[in-house]
Amino acid sequence: MSGSVRARRPASPPLGLPRPAAPQRFPHARQDHLDADERRVAASRGFKPGRSSHSPGGLNLAPAEWKLLLLVVLVASGVRLFRLSRPNSVVFDEVHFGKFASKYIKTQYFVDVHPPLAKLLITLAAFIFGYDGNFDFKDIGKVYDHVPYVAMRMVPATLGVATVPLAYLTLRALDCRATTALLASLFVTFENGMVTQSRHILLDSPLIFFTALTVFVWVGFCNEDKFEPFTEMWWIWLILSGLSLGAVVSCKWVGLFTIATIGVSTIWQLWVLLGDLRTPPRTWMKHFLARALCLIVLPILFYMAMFEIHFLILNGSGDGDGFMSSEFQHTLGGRGMADTFADVAIGSEVSIRHVNTQGGYLHSHPHNYPGGSKQQQITLYPHRDTNNLWRILNATADGGHESDWQSQPLQLLKPQMRIKLRHIETDKALHSHDVRPPVSDVDFQNEVSAYGMAGFIGDANDDWYLEIAKGDKRDKESGKRLRTLRTHFRLRHALTGCYLFSHKVKLPEWGWEQQEVTCNKNAVMANSLWFVETSTHPLFPADGPKVNYRLPGFLAKFTELQQVMWTTNAGLTDRHTYDSRPDSWPRLRRGINFWVKDHRQIYLIGNPLVWYLSSAAIFAYVVVRGILILRAKRGYRDFDNTKVVKYDSLCGFLFVGWCLHYLPFYIMGRQLFLHHYFPALYFAILLSCCGFDLVTSTLRPRVRLQIAAVLIIIAIWNFQYFSPLAYGNPWTKKKCYNAKWLKTWDFSCNDFLDDYAQYAGIVPPTPQRSEPPVATVGGEPGGRPPVLVNDQIPPVEKEHTTVAFGKAEPGVDIFAGDAVKDIKSEHAAPSPPAEEKEISSAFSKPSSTETSVDTEKKKGEEPANAASSSTSEPIAAAGKEADFSIQTHPATEAKDEEGHAHKNPQGPLDEPAAEANRAAKELYPEAQHKV
Amino acid sequence: MSLSSNSPGRDTRNRKRPLAGSSNTGHFDTEDDHVSSIYNRPRNRSAVEKLLDTEKASYAVVGALTALAFALRFYKINHPDQVVFDEVHFGKFASYYILREYYFDVHPPFAKLLFGLAGWFVGFDGHFSFENIGDSYTEAHIPYVGMRALPAILGSLTIPIVYSIMKESGFSTVIAAFSAILILLDNAHVAQSRLILLDATLIFFMSLTIYSYIRFRKLRYWEFTAEWWFWLVATGAFMAFTWGSKVNGILTVFTIGIAVLVDLWDILDIRKGYTMDHFWRHFAARAVGLIVVPICLYLTFFYVHFAVLTHSGTGDSFMSPAFQETLIGNEMLLNSQELRYYDTVTIKHKDTKVFLHSHPEKYPLKYDDGRISSQGQQVTGYGHNDTNNEWQIIPTKALPETGRGRIVRHEDVLQLLHVNTQTFLLTHDVASPLMPTNQEFTTVNMNDHSRHNDTLFHLNIIDANEGDPWKSKSGHFRLVHVPTKVSLWTHSGTLPEWAFKQQEVNGNKNPTEKTATWFVDEIISDETGIDIQNRTEHVAVKEPKKLNFFSKFGELQLLMLQHNAGLTASHPYASNPINWPFLLTGISFWTESEPQKQIYLIGNIIGWWSCVVALSIYVGIIGADLLARRRGVAPIPDPVRNRLWNNTGFFVLVWAVHYIPFFLMNRQLFIHHYLPSHLASTLVAGSVLNFVLSETINYPISIRGPTTRARPAMFSDLGLKGPVMVAAFTLVMFIMYVYMAALTYGTPGLDGESVNSKRLLSSWTLHFAAKKTETI
Repeated sequence: MSGSVRARRPASPPLGLPRPAAPQRFPHARQDHLDADERRVAASRGFKPGRSSHSPGGLNLAPAEWKLLLLVVLVASGVRLFRLSRPNSVVFDEVHFGKFASKYIKTQYFVDVHPPLAKLLITLAAFIFGYDGNFDFKDIGKVYDHVPYVAMRMVPATLGVATVPLAYLTLRALDCRATTALLASLFVTFENGMVTQSRHILLDSPLIFFTALTVFVWVGFCNEDKFEPFTEMWWIWLILSGLSLGAVVSCKWVGLFTIATIGVSTIWQLWVLLGDLRTPPRTWMKHFLARALCLIVLPILFYMAMFEIHFLILNGSGDGDGFMSSEFQHTLGGRGMADTFADVAIGSEVSIRHVNTQGGYLHSHPHNYPGGSKQQQITLYPHRDTNNLWRILNATADGGHESDWQSQPLQLLKPQMRIKLRHIETDKALHSHDVRPPVSDVDFQNEVSAYGMAGFIGDANDDWYLEIAKGDKRDKESGKRLRTLRTHFRLRHALTGCYLFSHKVKLPEWGWEQQEVTCNKNAVMANSLWFVETSTHPLFPADGPKVNYRLPGFLAKFTELQQVMWTTNAGLTDRHTYDSRPDSWPRLRRGINFWVKDHRQIYLIGNPLVWYLSSAAIFAYVVVRGILILRAKRGYRDFDNTKVVKYDSLCGFLFVGWCLHYLPFYIMGRQLFLHHYFPALYFAILLSCCGFDLVTSTLRPRVRLQIAAVLIIIAIWNFQYFSPLAYGNPWTKKKCYNAKWLKTWDFSCNDFLDDYAQYAGIVPPTPQRSEPPVATVGGEPGGRPPVLVNDQIPPVEKEHTTVAFGKAEPGVDIFAGDAVKDIKSEHAAPSPPAEEKEISSAFSKPSSTETSVDTEKKKGEEPANAASSSTSEPIAAAGKEADFSIQTHPATEAKDEEGHAHKNPQGPLDEPAAEANRAAKELYPEAQHKV
Repeated sequence: MSLSSNSPGRDTRNRKRPLAGSSNTGHFDTEDDHVSSIYNRPRNRSAVEKLLDTEKASYAVVGALTALAFALRFYKINHPDQVVFDEVHFGKFASYYILREYYFDVHPPFAKLLFGLAGWFVGFDGHFSFENIGDSYTEAHIPYVGMRALPAILGSLTIPIVYSIMKESGFSTVIAAFSAILILLDNAHVAQSRLILLDATLIFFMSLTIYSYIRFRKLRYWEFTAEWWFWLVATGAFMAFTWGSKVNGILTVFTIGIAVLVDLWDILDIRKGYTMDHFWRHFAARAVGLIVVPICLYLTFFYVHFAVLTHSGTGDSFMSPAFQETLIGNEMLLNSQELRYYDTVTIKHKDTKVFLHSHPEKYPLKYDDGRISSQGQQVTGYGHNDTNNEWQIIPTKALPETGRGRIVRHEDVLQLLHVNTQTFLLTHDVASPLMPTNQEFTTVNMNDHSRHNDTLFHLNIIDANEGDPWKSKSGHFRLVHVPTKVSLWTHSGTLPEWAFKQQEVNGNKNPTEKTATWFVDEIISDETGIDIQNRTEHVAVKEPKKLNFFSKFGELQLLMLQHNAGLTASHPYASNPINWPFLLTGISFWTESEPQKQIYLIGNIIGWWSCVVALSIYVGIIGADLLARRRGVAPIPDPVRNRLWNNTGFFVLVWAVHYIPFFLMNRQLFIHHYLPSHLASTLVAGSVLNFVLSETINYPISIRGPTTRARPAMFSDLGLKGPVMVAAFTLVMFIMYVYMAALTYGTPGLDGESVNSKRLLSSWTLHFAAKKTETI
């Protein structure tokens, strides 16, 4: 019984009476928004009234305006490309996006939370300019070496420049005056934040560009639509809108907000059209379908095409493998598996994988549990290894010796068979008994161990019943007997009735943080399922039926990756020193420290005038619109005024765009940064210029131009005032302190020198100084430098110990792992066998060539580096061996384990994927659930 | 409360309805014969409808339903004679009221006060701890049946209220009964209201709020009359009771708030012809009835709460020292002592409860991330008693030999001497081990005077005035470093192995950081090294202090909010809101393994799914109506449409406001949080059933004002099919109810097979399910 809209309607006439047509609530859209002169010109050219040319979507540009536009573009290029090559070291998130470009070029699979379009564009630039992918983009401030980073930065920079004319054209298409449009384009040009953001290898500049493009094209389409639908131009604008939408969302998922904006606008259009009783339903349907096709189907296709390219390029194995299912991993080069026998029989040598957790293979190694039964450990281990191999034996063979199977006829594995699993390397059996497991110390879990010795056949606690849970639909046999890869089965312990079980619980360091395996009496179905990945049997004929993973098609890969991205994105909740919450953005409370080096700093901060003006415009719109609504409620007829109607619809559109690009951030729990506000800022800037248009609409053109000029001059002055932070130029402490207009702007002034003159002495670091003597890995020109000690010059380090300001750090890349892991991945990267020698020579060199101060410092680091490289090399090698041939040398492995356990707590056969895998599972267990 | 105010014959003073004899009547469409006949000849209804619509029949129906409700809710209410689910909490709170011991809970006190009252009334002495689920009542001789009777009564009375809501909304008896039956025969509502839980109270008062608001709305043409005021204030009062029962009751306040705003927006409309003065009068009236009255009531609950709980109890430690000192027998009151210079003390962090600790080990030169430390002695937070936690307070000014001058006071500057290593606490401009943004804390030899300035700390006692002495236990303080203005702070991050995984202590840049609060836990000895027990002796038993009610109230509110948001720990039966309407998960309240008995909170699946279907039909109808109107077609008769939008719309609003916000909450959520929404959805279901069965409605139902224009009347007529369908549905519901009853009442015990058969959805996690055994 809430009060409602209904109550105030007059009583409706009784049924059957023709309803009077509803009175027109708003005046019809004006057909002729041109002034008399323009209309005359149009008529003289023979165009329809209200249409001055066939130019796109009612966009009326005077010829002189094109020249103006060209000038604006030149100014924008000057502002945004100025000294693009400075700084010549890694800035902020270039750490990630540069790295991704390297991985594209090396075709190593990686996972990121953002869709691929912008990264592909950057990679394209890098590729054209001959980047070989060997730079590691490890830390902020690392000097570029043989990286065409200027070309890579050109991509966002060019798109940033292109945003400027789009702002102009959009406002013109929205029927604003040229002065207003010029003001907007210059506001965008001199927005410090956008300038800073567009000058580096970051994804936001492409995002803003495509957002701006979408808005422009959509406005053009709306103009077309008002005149005459279904013309050729109408279709072109509509299709362009769809493609542009696809591009936005392929840069970053934030693009979904742009889709929402266009969606709201479309629904509003259709709703108005629906209320127009002159439109027959058929025409309405046509409108509806055309929009659905171009604005829903087309963007989806575009988006998927981007991923198709992504998958085509990334066909090699890389550190993103661990996030994907095993089927997916087998589509990647170097990750494939040879065909394996389809059947499993008594005597088969199998590796068994856990279904639900991606934890890997049922594994044992010659180390004992420190507690419990103190028998040999059973774990889940994610990598292929001979320690994963088990032989299936018949437990019911009476008094049977384990070699029975060789003499017996082949006996395929059927449900409810009583079997033993014998670990081949250590000759022990999979065993369980009534002892609590080491980590999950609860009543219903029993420890699982490997027990026995060569020649000892074992006891009844080694016996397991095979239960088949589920076969593959396409392989009918797999439901009836155990088939490799196709059958999911459970193992029930014969004496205690518990099920072999594993879950996402890690063993402590004594178990190399591998996953715990237990026997669970209340096992969750999903976590007690296993499958056989490889199976061999000496008695199988070599040409027997074989199977392999069914490789997922594009759609399966696409959906899997989307899920991984989604869960990861939602999980990015770690705090970052420079993160901020949405409520602080319109107030510009603080910026982001991008880069600090050599007493220069790059700090993302907006142009205060432009920023606060835009926020004020938003606020003013809300207030004015609120007052108008209240006035309308009390019977004032403001909305009969065409001027009010025009600016209402215009500002309303931009305001809705702002809201949809801003408010959704409030419900996002993830790490957020100031630069997430930029698309909304773009709308806000346009809105502020519309406000200018409205306020000055009654003034003479000259006065209007003068006001605009004053605003522009203030904006430019503001820009140059803060420009050292945007370009990383020299600045003085005093100026810096003066520029701290808000206490919360936390750029570090202590970092600048007192006087410009002092900067003369400081040569910006160049790669030439230290690079030449260092041999590169593999000895090829342009290869990767092996060690990066020359970066850490003492003064910088000293700075780090103080707390005067937060250190510049990149956004968290969940997929990257931490720094320690990076070092390992370097060494494990596939490279020629000569690697080891080259590295040792590289190590010896700097100590002889550098100055004595530096050597002293380095000596401390060298042994550590050398140690880590020497430890991980043989390990990686062993890992590779295990990958490619099943025969390995357990002795070496064991030795490795003993020797380097303290260095490699992850496991005897560590490799980067293990790290990635671990991180993935810890952070995003859901992503791993489906297999 | 009249149950059938709407039946013809009543209210005749207002509703001299002319038979819809306006000039339009002749033009009715012949297709809508039934509807037009109701318009034309309102008495021309089917016999069944006429029979059921009489006052007598209405009373009979509601009487029968209420009786059945009491029967179902009181059936075996003494079983189980054990503590069930959250009785652990709410039973305990009742006993605290009886013992008058202070406790802390996230929910407002009204419903718990009622339980305390009920317990007192039936002679419960409060000496039972309700420690674990499954503790026996009978062994401890607890009059638990009396306490359970309270929610059972309120739960039963909800049925006639639901009936009256529908009746007041102009639906026929059959429809009103239908909605009531959806609640009456719902296993979840029954299970929830038979136990000492707050939800029955919450739901009872929520439905009363809806009822009063509808009565108030119906009087809108008789504005500012006594009756109008009565229902307005009643709405506000019941709203306060709802809110006071459970913290979710605030959603009812939001519901009414939104409805009132829409209402006011309507009054503001120029076409209504009201002046602004008139609007402001309406505004003020609602402000009084729906803001002032509820707030006063809400404050009253807390006033009673504080008045009853005058003794120290389990809730003390949540509160500020000033608050704690108002409680009789509080430890702080007894043991809080003034600190003097050269006392040796242990200092504890308020939030994480660790001691300020130091040991001879040094910080390592270089951390993993490449930053460098001062290599000074480590200062950490340590959770256990240890002599390394002892610090001596060293003055920085001249002290008199004896007397009050030796007392440490607010705003003093002091040094802290680590007793075991004879070093001063210090902080300096070096980044802490874990946080590059915070300062490292370390210590320096007491003879090293070069660092004197860095060892000075400013004592900032919270909420203290100039010259107040520093007290142990009660004197919460911040320690702000004099040169750099950082405050001594710790957080739950642990340092690596080199510091034995103890907690990091560092300097927070914010000198007024809220979490940088510490207190002196214990005075180990005074300057002579003697244990200071003697100081306690001359402290007589202190009188509890007085504290302004409003500051007590404000403090408690804030804490309730914080703790409510903090309830994020996972619970095995917590569930996601999206599962609720579909009844995908329940809660295991209680189990007893011997006869395999269990109570499992789960609704009547037929009722719940009907409600979901009804909601979706409603959305469909509204959508279709919008589209049709947009195209100039009016498919639904106006009175019916009016009811669908305004009345059913209000029910949907109640449903949505009590449901949607849970999606935004990160706290532990349970299916019983959906019960208020479920009640709203049964109201929607009734309305939708009416729409599906017939295109008629009792109209108008608002009481005509002196100047209101007469409208063509319409009467609801479902014919015979209405009662038949509702009866059939009730039968099915009842069968399902009985089928699931063993899980609702916790008796009789079930064997594995029958547990399996009652597990209608695979997502229900019932106990004692038989394992699917496969033969070998």
